[in-house]
Amino acid sequence: MTLLRQYILPRIVQWFVVIFVGISITFLIPRLSPVNPVDNALGRLTSFQTMDPEASQQMRATLLDLYGLDGSIVDQYLNFWGRLIKGDLGPSFQSFPTPVMQIIGAGIGWTIGLLGTSILISWTLGLILGSLAGYFSNTWWAKLLERVVITIYPVPYYILAFILLMLFTYYWPLFPLVGGSRGEPAFTWEFISSVLYFGFLPALSLVIGGTAFRFIMAKALASTEMTSDYVQYADLAAVPKRKILFFYVIRNTMLPQVTDLALSLGALFEGALITEVVFGYPGVGYTLYNAINSGDYNIIMGITLLSIVGIATASLLVDLIYPFLDPRVRLR
Amino acid sequence: MSKPIITTQNLKAYYITHAYGVERTVQAVDDISININAGEIYGIAGESGCGKSTLLKVLLGSFAPPLTVVGGSIAYHLDDQDIDGVNLPEDEKRDLRWKQISYIPQGSMHVLNPVRKIRDTFHDFISAHRTVTRKESLKMTSSYLRDLGLPDKVLGSYPHELSGGMRQRVTIALATILWPKLIFADEPTTALDVIVQRGVIQMLREVQQREGSTLVLITHDMGVHANLADRIAVLYAGKLVEEAPTRTILQEPRHPYTKFLIESLPSLEGREERNSIPGRPPALDHPPSGCRFHERCPLAKDICRTIDPEMITVGPSHRTACHVVAEELSHEPAI
Repeated sequence: MTLLRQYILPRIVQWFVVIFVGISITFLIPRLSPVNPVDNALGRLTSFQTMDPEASQQMRATLLDLYGLDGSIVDQYLNFWGRLIKGDLGPSFQSFPTPVMQIIGAGIGWTIGLLGTSILISWTLGLILGSLAGYFSNTWWAKLLERVVITIYPVPYYILAFILLMLFTYYWPLFPLVGGSRGEPAFTWEFISSVLYFGFLPALSLVIGGTAFRFIMAKALASTEMTSDYVQYADLAAVPKRKILFFYVIRNTMLPQVTDLALSLGALFEGALITEVVFGYPGVGYTLYNAINSGDYNIIMGITLLSIVGIATASLLVDLIYPFLDPRVRLR
Repeated sequence: MSKPIITTQNLKAYYITHAYGVERTVQAVDDISININAGEIYGIAGESGCGKSTLLKVLLGSFAPPLTVVGGSIAYHLDDQDIDGVNLPEDEKRDLRWKQISYIPQGSMHVLNPVRKIRDTFHDFISAHRTVTRKESLKMTSSYLRDLGLPDKVLGSYPHELSGGMRQRVTIALATILWPKLIFADEPTTALDVIVQRGVIQMLREVQQREGSTLVLITHDMGVHANLADRIAVLYAGKLVEEAPTRTILQEPRHPYTKFLIESLPSLEGREERNSIPGRPPALDHPPSGCRFHERCPLAKDICRTIDPEMITVGPSHRTACHVVAEELSHEPAI
């Protein structure tokens, strides 16, 4: 009970506060900007045809209502929350009147599939290879591995992605240039294999970059752990190296690694912007890119809100998992 | 008398480092010859930086470059077998650990894995040397801890839930669970308060007496030595300067350095200011010529500055390395 009251409850309250403040700020920022989306939209509409002033006024009123921009800022704020609780993020400006939720919903599956899988793969690979390289840092393979990683790591991601794209879709056209799948979504081997086929290259680019980063982190953490008294003492006592690696070294480096995993997964909703643009992948990142280019505020808002909730939830989960990973946290 | 459990002859262990093409050697253990008998508590004393921890590392066989044995020998006599301690391959050394040779680290060290329960750590250490199930190792641990007077509940605890004294006791139990013949303890009572120290000293003696193990005890604390050790070796600047049974060292120290050490001990009778040794210990990368203590020695003569004194026997199992003592001895009329 004390664990619930002293540890879990404050964190859940914190979760609500973070989301509330985050969303309120997202509400305020565009309203502080001098750009008026209603005038922009009207401008777009009237740029190629003339409209009589009365129709224009009506249009303006309709748009203000649609965008939730009528009334004082307090009214707008209350309205905004009222809609949000119903799950209504408003219509997209660009593909009016499709609701924002529907547009984001179309991309989110792709993003979660692509980004989620590659984060999990690169996290596991990076953690295991990095810890091994840190633990057996004197062996030739650990040195070789580290050199390879150090070479790959500083390559900017967009260059890595373009190299892969050019190599495997142009010089050796093994993989498709754009798209997420072939055919209609269905639970058939044909569709699933096409998803894997289309997703392979973007996933590979993410896995390479992600593994390199996590390898370096895991290796640094493991090297520090190697100099700890308990690792050296267990080694002196001739405890098998495998056991030391898993239960003494890796087990003690889990805390920062799990935080990294959870926060990466929490940031899923932002999408993999560069990846999706480079590989023409139909995920949230691509949607966001288009929305930013066309000034589709509602979509930008929607994706921002989802990321706030995603990251806040991920940190909440991390906090709740910590006591199981480190007994020392339980007492605090 | 049976063979000593450890014999070192002219043991030299230096730290050799190469930095920017300059070789630097630190003569941390220089020309040390000692015999440690089976079943005794052998104390090694000296101030910080005198090489006592290095000597322990070398005796334990747990060292890596830059620390190198550059000369001399170490011989173990375990289970009626003579073992060459310097040239023993790494895997055979590891094989001896815990079953035959064990090590109790300093109390302030975090030698217990913070995310593992005590019983799991015990299982790791036991199963590294014996094929046991988790249940068997738990039974072993539990009965051993009970024998040593430790509460059963520590088994299910994490290290951070134990007090410093309890952690040190658990570490002693962890080091001796497999009944090693030879136990090295490096400052086992340092960083503990005096009340807890007494309990730990008591426990060390108990552990040692149980199987008649040999305990090599390293500490700068002469009080702990007086309490525990059968014989004491005094190290100064990497050299052995005096070795004698505890009572002899405390009552009739011969070497000027040992005299200072003993004098600096507080006693209940006198409340006068304690003498401290003038100067500071020399740096071991450029040790002074001759006797290494001559710069701080009030009795130093010309010969002390140039010639390294030999170990001489001055009484029953009492040896010291001092020119002044040697001279006195030669003037004393033979009885």
